[in-house]
Amino acid sequence: MINISRLQKARGKHQCFRDMDTETNGGGSLVLIKQGAEARVFESTFGGRKSIVKERFSKKYRHPTLDSKLTLKRLNAEARCMTKARRLGVSTPVLYAVDPVSHTLTFEYVEGPSIKDIFLEFGLKGVVEEKMDDIAFQIGDTIGKLHDGGVIHGDLTTSNMLWRSDTNQLVLIDFGLSFVSTLPEDKGVDLYVLERALLSMHSSCGNVMDKILSAYRKSTKQWSSTFNKLGQVRLRGRKRTMVG
Amino acid sequence: MKHYDISGTTLSVALFTEVANSKELLELMQAGTLEPEIALLNASLIPDIFPVLAAAHKTLVSKSRDSLTTRTLHSELVYNYSGSKHISESLKRCGISDSTTYILAARFNASEEELNAMKTLIKGKEIDLEELEGRANKSQILKQYKITGVELGISTIGDAITCRIAARDAL
Repeated sequence: MINISRLQKARGKHQCFRDMDTETNGGGSLVLIKQGAEARVFESTFGGRKSIVKERFSKKYRHPTLDSKLTLKRLNAEARCMTKARRLGVSTPVLYAVDPVSHTLTFEYVEGPSIKDIFLEFGLKGVVEEKMDDIAFQIGDTIGKLHDGGVIHGDLTTSNMLWRSDTNQLVLIDFGLSFVSTLPEDKGVDLYVLERALLSMHSSCGNVMDKILSAYRKSTKQWSSTFNKLGQVRLRGRKRTMVG
Repeated sequence: MKHYDISGTTLSVALFTEVANSKELLELMQAGTLEPEIALLNASLIPDIFPVLAAAHKTLVSKSRDSLTTRTLHSELVYNYSGSKHISESLKRCGISDSTTYILAARFNASEEELNAMKTLIKGKEIDLEELEGRANKSQILKQYKITGVELGISTIGDAITCRIAARDAL
């Protein structure tokens, strides 16, 4: 019952977004594929290519001025980090357009399953070792490149990683929580978040994190400081205790 | 000549080589008397049509909100293609100069007569858009857009340009 009403709500909003869209940038038709707490994700077309439109909606419970500032800041930060990651040699979807007025990002539609789906299938049908090694290597290598370039992803989970089917290449998505930092603390927390996500979702896949970390170690130049921090973060959890 | 539909607006694009009258075209354009008004781009910076479409999309969105940065719709297209915020430098680099012989011409919502006028205006040989990739000046593109070998390991040169066009105002 709750689900149905939610769906209808989403559809209503989607409809309204579509009307607005035909006025401003009209592109291809929009089909809602995911609704999260911060944004709605649609499938569309852009210049003849299949695309994804990510719309950050406003939060009615926030003060309007603060709300538009936060939304814009995050929209721009996401666009920046996504393109910066590409400059570091990390595969992310190609950015097609940023619209600060409708709070939307338009980017490439990546064909392929998420790493989460691949790992869940491994959990059900048994692990394909060769593929697992390839994926784990690419995850570690990719995060290493990202961290060495000073980009912290901020939400490293297996659902934010896609596997491009035609080239067997890892693609990182959702830079909505990303920021620029060179602190070992931030890198450690980034890795810790991934470690927790792997433990809770994919414990039947064996110890993927060790494989990821060994690839990360080869790819980064700041291994020891980051690894030490990771050890500390493991003991205390993601949040720093702010006492005194 | 090819036509692209961008959110209900048509963009007509034609590629010319061995253009002999770029000086005249440039003077007409700077005087604002180029008839019809068209965008003339330095085609050696264009390895693929897709980034031009991304720039065109951006242009149309600005137009619909009356927030063009440059004086005309078509100069805005050239400015947006540059991926830079420096207007005069953008027009110089991505537009044409006295001596440019390889030109991509584009016009939004062009009529049949305007397209014919465009073809007679540009004194050159029209070639197929598929030649863009082979004729692009790769080293010049890499320098203009600051694209490194690391990025090209995961991206085509056209996609790298597209990202810069899209992200310019977010930087």
